[in-house]
Amino acid sequence: MSLSSSERSGAGVYIGTGLIAAFFALFLFYPLYYVFKKSLMPEGAFSLSFFKLLFSNPVMARSIVNSLLIAMNVTLLSGALGFIFATLTVKTDLPAKNFWGNMFLIPMILPPFVGAIGVKYILGRFGMVNTLLMHWGVIGARNPIDWLGAPFWGVVILETLHLFPIMYLNVVGSYALMDPSLEEAARGLGARGLSLFRSVKAPLLAPGFFAGASVVFIWAMTDLGTPLLFEYRAVIPVQIFNSLQESKENLLGYALVVVALAITAVFFVASKYLFARRKVEMAAFGRTSGRLIKLGLPGKILITAALAVFIALALVPHISVALVSLSKEWFMTALPEAWTFEYYGKVFTHPMSFSSVKNSLAFSGLAVVATLITGGAIAYMISRKRFRGRWILDVCAMMPLAVPGVVLAFGYVQVFFGTFLDPRVNPVALLVISYAVRRLPLVVRALYAGFQQTSVTLEEASASLGASPATTLRRVTFPLIRANMLGAAILAFAFSMLEVSDSLILAMEEKFYPMTKAIYMLMGRLEDGGMIASAMGVLGVALLAASLAVAQRLLGRKMGDLFRA
Amino acid sequence: MVSVELKNVVKRYGETTAVGGVSLTIGKGELFFLLGPSGCGKTTALRMVAGFITPDEGEILFDGRDISRTPPHKRNVGMVFQTYALFPHMTVAQNISYGLRFRKLEAAEKKRRLDDVMERTRLGGLGARVPAELSGGQQQRVALARALVIQPDALLLDEPLSNLDTKLRVEVREEIKRIHDEFKITALYVTHDQDEALSLADRLAIMKDGAIVQIGTPEEIYARPRSAFVASFVGETNLLEARAAARDGRQGFDTPAGWIPAPAGGGKPEKALISVRPESVRLGSPDGAAVTGKARSVKFFGGTVKIELELEGGATLTAAAPGASAAGRWKKGDTAGITLEERDVVILE
Repeated sequence: MSLSSSERSGAGVYIGTGLIAAFFALFLFYPLYYVFKKSLMPEGAFSLSFFKLLFSNPVMARSIVNSLLIAMNVTLLSGALGFIFATLTVKTDLPAKNFWGNMFLIPMILPPFVGAIGVKYILGRFGMVNTLLMHWGVIGARNPIDWLGAPFWGVVILETLHLFPIMYLNVVGSYALMDPSLEEAARGLGARGLSLFRSVKAPLLAPGFFAGASVVFIWAMTDLGTPLLFEYRAVIPVQIFNSLQESKENLLGYALVVVALAITAVFFVASKYLFARRKVEMAAFGRTSGRLIKLGLPGKILITAALAVFIALALVPHISVALVSLSKEWFMTALPEAWTFEYYGKVFTHPMSFSSVKNSLAFSGLAVVATLITGGAIAYMISRKRFRGRWILDVCAMMPLAVPGVVLAFGYVQVFFGTFLDPRVNPVALLVISYAVRRLPLVVRALYAGFQQTSVTLEEASASLGASPATTLRRVTFPLIRANMLGAAILAFAFSMLEVSDSLILAMEEKFYPMTKAIYMLMGRLEDGGMIASAMGVLGVALLAASLAVAQRLLGRKMGDLFRA
Repeated sequence: MVSVELKNVVKRYGETTAVGGVSLTIGKGELFFLLGPSGCGKTTALRMVAGFITPDEGEILFDGRDISRTPPHKRNVGMVFQTYALFPHMTVAQNISYGLRFRKLEAAEKKRRLDDVMERTRLGGLGARVPAELSGGQQQRVALARALVIQPDALLLDEPLSNLDTKLRVEVREEIKRIHDEFKITALYVTHDQDEALSLADRLAIMKDGAIVQIGTPEEIYARPRSAFVASFVGETNLLEARAAARDGRQGFDTPAGWIPAPAGGGKPEKALISVRPESVRLGSPDGAAVTGKARSVKFFGGTVKIELELEGGATLTAAAPGASAAGRWKKGDTAGITLEERDVVILE
């Protein structure tokens, strides 16, 4: 395989493509095919009987509606927040924009299912809010308000808080690419206000916006952890999860997986082909900040205050998880009465939590290695080689964005039952593979960006000076994309550590539990389970925060691109 | 140092033929140019010599040895890229000595070569900088030094001056000439800039649509273009339709700018196209002149003045005169008598 010649696609390319195709076939397509076959051809012949059953079962039908409503609400709210915040920080003279820009990213580091723990302590029957209200005599001690009686909105709010930063990053990214001279030209031609927005800005922002929105939609619709912790069972992912817990095979699970996949596929395709890839080539240099909207002093004060209140509320779940993890006693009081670090100690001494931390480190580490090798090879071939079927590789690499974790994990459990990979016996291999597959789009994208920025000419220069292809890769290509490799690896690692669906579904025995499964199981225990779970959650959040900060430094403004469909 | 020969080299991309049967020989130590408009296949030809592209047909020979299928890192050619392709993560010294890593040399010899080439390319003292800290001209010299330090069998230059501004371009052009004279290396230089080619080349080939249309020294190409394309691509020219006509017993041609004698030894076509360089058009008093023209525009270029004339038949003719003498003498609307320098007129094929 020659590095320098874009058209010398020798045997290496075909062997590489073949290996990658085999990987995709076994760990992505076959499980999906199997699920489809089971649900559409239950007795060997095509039949829609399961779907009839599905929609005639009131719980199932309600679950589908609920999941769709959650996803729609989360997407609309995240989109609105992301757009407003991005416009404020990019297009106005709001003071302390950088500060706010960083603040908007903080909610992202809180996995919503960890936030759910905190919310339960605050909004529970005898949580902080009710206790305060009782203390002030607003409500009686005997009839606390059941705040979590409507877990729907709890799920929506927590997921929105987690996901709106993705929309924010996407819109900021689109603004950054938009050449201000386009706006100036439109103004010069007489466009104003709404007409300017409709005719010029909206079409240029749309691709980034919808690319982010489809990721948010799919994420919200298929998130398992948050509804599970709120004990909100009438949603698709929880129903899929439950169908696996039953001892006999529940064929409704298959049908539900197909429905989930169909919905996500529609969104994925719509965003990718309807709006997005009409590549809007925009300014590469001579970028000015363009014209800023003047807010005026009252406007500045009002907006700053509103943002401060929003951020404060957004951080309530984080803060309460931290409080729980540090509280010795917290019952019937507004704040814990005594403080302790012992639960952090227990994370590393309690057998379940300690082994889960070790497991998560090992699984995520292995997954990062696997995804870097696979993703690196894919990104390299897509960016450097010209060969037939290249686009198939591209589509495959992005597929996992459209395949939710619950779906993939469900497929793995069914397909590998009774094989040497059976997760009932030992789920390690499948956990690592599922982590790797799910992070593949992110890694491919980060590395592809790296290869694209690194001119092929540099590799040619190296070759002409006598360096073999391997040497060129080691001395020129890798050093130049190091930041992207590191950023991708760190993000993939952190997201794997906090992966919920795969972990909850695939790890069935305590000795194989990763952190997220241990958190879930600990939450179900009385005594100190919730405190240890919170302490683990806080550690997880700290890890994710640190990872994102480092990745942001390494990848710069391009980070927004990683969260697109 | 080697001689480089291209024998009937062909490169196709799907339906389009980028290079269609190019043959040329570059002698040892020669500075050879490929000149042509963008898309003519000159860069593809150069990249085949470098080894980045494999020809579909034909051979590329270094001293008679076929290297068409040798990978680039085994060819020992130095290449200067249009964008310089300096490694941004390495210092100037690391960039220049990069190629020396892959050559079995004593450390002392490597050091000697590095110091020598840096001195000869006037980069002394810049070794610790990174490329981003250098000016365009300096980056260009680093690219050159990096290609030369490996003592390549041939040096390839791909539009090396196109990223420099006009003034710097002339300076660096001289620098390249000086360095080539000093290193005396076989070099293939690709450009679309005729000034570069005419002022630097030992010989040049004009390319069009993937084929070579003429090879020769700069003087030959300029003075004796074989086709209208070459005549108008290399320098400015007037193309006039001519018809065979004998006068006073001599073979010649009638042209809109008057009768000219046929050059000795040339063919005797009935109809032909002739090329007359603007500087070969002499303007004088219209009184008693056989051919006159009316000045449609007079443009001042500093060193020269260009006068566009409308001839009696409606054809146009551009004349160039030294600025000092012509400035002020000709105004728009003036009528001038026209004579052509007969020996500078070329009958095109």
